[in-house]
Amino acid sequence: MNIDRRVLPFILPILLIIVWYLITDGLNLVPYYILPSPLDVCNAALKLVANGKLLDHTISTLTKVFSGIILAAVVAIPLGIILGWYETLDEFTSLVISILRPIPPIAWIPFSILWFGIGLPSAVFVIFIGCVFSVLVYTIDGVKRTDKVLIEAAHTLGANNWDILYKVVLPSALPYIVSGLKVGVSIALMCTVSAEMIASSKGLGYMILTASQLFDPGTMVVGMVIIGIIGILFDVAFRKVQSKIFW
Amino acid sequence: MAIDIKNISKSFTTKDKEFTALKDVNLHVDDGELICLLGPSGCGKTTLLRMVAGLETADSGEIYDRGELVEGPSRERGFIFQQYSLFPWLNVLDNVMFGLNLSGENSKEENLAAAERYLERVGLADFKYSYPHELSGGMKQRVAIIRSLLNHTPVLLMDEPFSAVDMLNRHSLQEQLIGVWKRFNTTILFVTHDVDEAVYLADKIVVMDKRPGRIKDVVEVPLERPRQRESREFLNFQDEVEKLLGVWEP
Repeated sequence: MNIDRRVLPFILPILLIIVWYLITDGLNLVPYYILPSPLDVCNAALKLVANGKLLDHTISTLTKVFSGIILAAVVAIPLGIILGWYETLDEFTSLVISILRPIPPIAWIPFSILWFGIGLPSAVFVIFIGCVFSVLVYTIDGVKRTDKVLIEAAHTLGANNWDILYKVVLPSALPYIVSGLKVGVSIALMCTVSAEMIASSKGLGYMILTASQLFDPGTMVVGMVIIGIIGILFDVAFRKVQSKIFW
Repeated sequence: MAIDIKNISKSFTTKDKEFTALKDVNLHVDDGELICLLGPSGCGKTTLLRMVAGLETADSGEIYDRGELVEGPSRERGFIFQQYSLFPWLNVLDNVMFGLNLSGENSKEENLAAAERYLERVGLADFKYSYPHELSGGMKQRVAIIRSLLNHTPVLLMDEPFSAVDMLNRHSLQEQLIGVWKRFNTTILFVTHDVDEAVYLADKIVVMDKRPGRIKDVVEVPLERPRQRESREFLNFQDEVEKLLGVWEP
């Protein structure tokens, strides 16, 4: 069988939607409150688009994701470069980082509410915690993996330590830093939705949770699909960046 | 006098075993000389070269570069590594200008013009916008050599730079190196384990031995340049050097 490679990924989603339609509206095998039909979801989506709520919630979620990841990058990239460069400092901090890193970001939510209340700062804090460690660890790794020959070559070409850091270590670590950001963004998206379900009054997570409390499964699915689409868009964007900087 | 190596000793410890990499090495290199350090692996020739570059320190002894004690790497002593050492994120042009742009002596335009002129001379002009991964092994080493020469380095230290290149290309690279050496009057210290390469390139061959690493003999190469590999004199001298090395020891 010869199928165009570009068409291949779209076949399964279409099949899934057909099956989904058949077991809901088509054959009425599953009641609405267990699984809404594709048409219910479309109706819910149209309503949410029309009254502007979908856009509001999406923007709110994206704002949190971006604030969290930017804050994490601003802290983790310089710190990672310093820790990757000075082995003693890395060893000095490694235990603390290793202990903090596996704590699920959600576990920080009670403290974030205590410290920042309910709203944007609290959610941003949880997202920051969620992605700061992956960016940090990838950056440290990238700096440490700098080819020793390149550092020595730069030295024999007259580079001082600052040149080495700025013109050799940083460009060499860049692909790792971008990988760290990529992992960070996907964690951030997960954290955002969870944080919104608990400590927020806006955003896609909040939208999903309130819809479930109001027995509106159509809206719940709309929220989930939008989150999935945001995830894909981030992924595509990062692939574009990575194809530019991986040599 | 370009480089003076005085009483250099160095030992390494591996798994509570100590071995002497170099023992009481003395060597004098004149300005503009092309000297090959020849020896089996483990004789410390690379270690010695790295010390001259300032990339490694000796346990005892000193190295002087035109009267000044070598205390660390410097642009005065360019180094060509056995492994490829081009910056993979820079194209050929930016790679060869790396040192020039650091020094800030000249304007960017002057650096660019100089880089293009040099690349033109060695026939790499068509590749100036290529990235290292697009180049062959021999081309990468040529770019690395240009990168050091553009830096106006009076001393070029080369650590088996052509060992990963196939034979035909190696011969052509050696010929080009001779051309560059003559044109720029560079002092070259060249490490190799290849007798043919040493005999083809060197004014003097420093024959080294291992356990402990030391200089066994220093021989002048009595052959006229350009040297002919097929000539009787070349082959005879090659045999002599091989005997010195102990290749033919019973």
